[in-house]
Amino acid sequence: MTATTADTVPAACPRCRSGKIEMRSKSPVVGIWTVFGCPTCLYVWRSTEPEENVNPDKYPAAFRLRPEDLPSLQVVPPIPPRRSSS
Amino acid sequence: MRAYKDLREFLSVLEQERQLLRIHDQIVPEPDIAAAACALTEIGEDSPAIYFDNIAGYTSARVAMNVHGSWCNHALALGMEKDAGMRDQFFEFVRRFQQYPGTLERVASAPWQEVVVDKDVNLYELLPLFRLNRGDGGYFIDKACTVSRDLDDWDNDNVENVGIYRLQVKGRNRLGIQTVPQHDIAIHMAHAEARGEDLPVAIALGNEPIITLMGATPLLYDQLEYKMAAVMQGAPYRVVKTAKGLDVPWGSEYVLEGRLLCGQRETEGPFGEFPGYYSGCHKYPVIEIDRVSHRTDPVYDAVYVGRPWTELDFLQAMTTSAPIFLQLKTTFPEVVAVNALYTHGLVVVVSTKIRYGGFAKYVGLRVLTTTHGLGYAKVVIVVDEKVDPFDLKQVMWAISVKVNPAGDIVTIPNLAENLLDPACSPAGMVTKMIIDATTPVAPDIRGDYGEELDKPLRTDQWRTKLMALAKEMRK
Repeated sequence: MTATTADTVPAACPRCRSGKIEMRSKSPVVGIWTVFGCPTCLYVWRSTEPEENVNPDKYPAAFRLRPEDLPSLQVVPPIPPRRSSS
Repeated sequence: MRAYKDLREFLSVLEQERQLLRIHDQIVPEPDIAAAACALTEIGEDSPAIYFDNIAGYTSARVAMNVHGSWCNHALALGMEKDAGMRDQFFEFVRRFQQYPGTLERVASAPWQEVVVDKDVNLYELLPLFRLNRGDGGYFIDKACTVSRDLDDWDNDNVENVGIYRLQVKGRNRLGIQTVPQHDIAIHMAHAEARGEDLPVAIALGNEPIITLMGATPLLYDQLEYKMAAVMQGAPYRVVKTAKGLDVPWGSEYVLEGRLLCGQRETEGPFGEFPGYYSGCHKYPVIEIDRVSHRTDPVYDAVYVGRPWTELDFLQAMTTSAPIFLQLKTTFPEVVAVNALYTHGLVVVVSTKIRYGGFAKYVGLRVLTTTHGLGYAKVVIVVDEKVDPFDLKQVMWAISVKVNPAGDIVTIPNLAENLLDPACSPAGMVTKMIIDATTPVAPDIRGDYGEELDKPLRTDQWRTKLMALAKEMRK
């Protein structure tokens, strides 16, 4: 896989490799950078960041996530039960 | 004592005191901003704040970092002389803390209302966001005050909460917020969720330095941070109400208004956290932002978090030590001072007078049952009253000669601990330790302690005289 550039929406999320990527923002000064986001693992990156943050092949193994593991993340704080309306 | 009206006034004081570096060269958001802030932690004790005003891709972004990042800056934030020592800052902080409560000054309008964006909010455009550490899951707002009220007790100002929580920008108008059940906002959120309602929040970003310290202080649930800020600055604290009824500092640079969404949890993290480790990912609550207001050319204020010490450790220094000290002192008036500066009080050093043999261990145990001690205070070192707990050379001397591990180490297994402490096993549980580094007194007759060395007569007079001469010589 290749690193993202400012002009193209990347093919995969650097962190979880999900293939659905959203363009979140263009730089206020035109053409400098683009911010992308992954709707699966919610990772966000800017096209001008160091390669290990934008290129799925260079993303550090220690920080990778697998989409299938996301539902089992710990919920903090727990969601309390609704009060009964009386 | 001094009441800074806003962050800009404090930055100008730092500049006058030669404690602010302005960087006009163009930088890229990553990795330059975090790298510069990290480098500041490596260039000495008096490291200045840093201010960037030429960030690639932004038209007029301004970012300040390390604003509280040295004892000089911390002293100036408190309105003290910039060379005030740690011990003096501690006792002054404690003195003011005990004056609680101060008062609020409510005014109708504020400079942050100059520009309002309430349609198509895009935080990535509006804020100069950047990644701090390479493994962070995104861009975090980490030095803003999040304000909330209790939906069950809406008009009670004392339970309004102003707290600093890490906020991950996960979408154009969507934030994740880290709250643990011990946080006051978690109580507000639990009440709102039990009612089935969203919780209104206001996020005040870029503030004068005192409210930031108060937002980092573990106050009691019914103590309002603005009223503590008022006694800390020696003047009523000026606030403006949002349309929803939340009080926001008059001097804020940005105010983000939105709702903590009822019953929603989403992937959040990791974030490089205060112990010097990443936090991992959890499912945390979500905030949707409806409206952003800001001053013209707003200043974005952030804190670098890395391996300690960083600016974060100054934010968690006296703000952690003072509440522990005051709670201990209620039980044991003999306690002289508390140093909880290290990693948010995972290590606590207490100096105390000794009533009788074994007394120091009870003081140590009491540290564990203070409200902050419950989730931190993993290692407690108790020293004699003559040992300054803020002077680690003295503390190490006390440990060197006054500790016999055979009788001076108490460990208690399986106590609750903050999840972020990587030593926990399992997460949230840890063994805690008390080191009694005081001189044994009867009926504790261990050791062979004769007469301790003291100072020659007139040492104090000579110190005053020589300090003045040395200061003159170095001008």
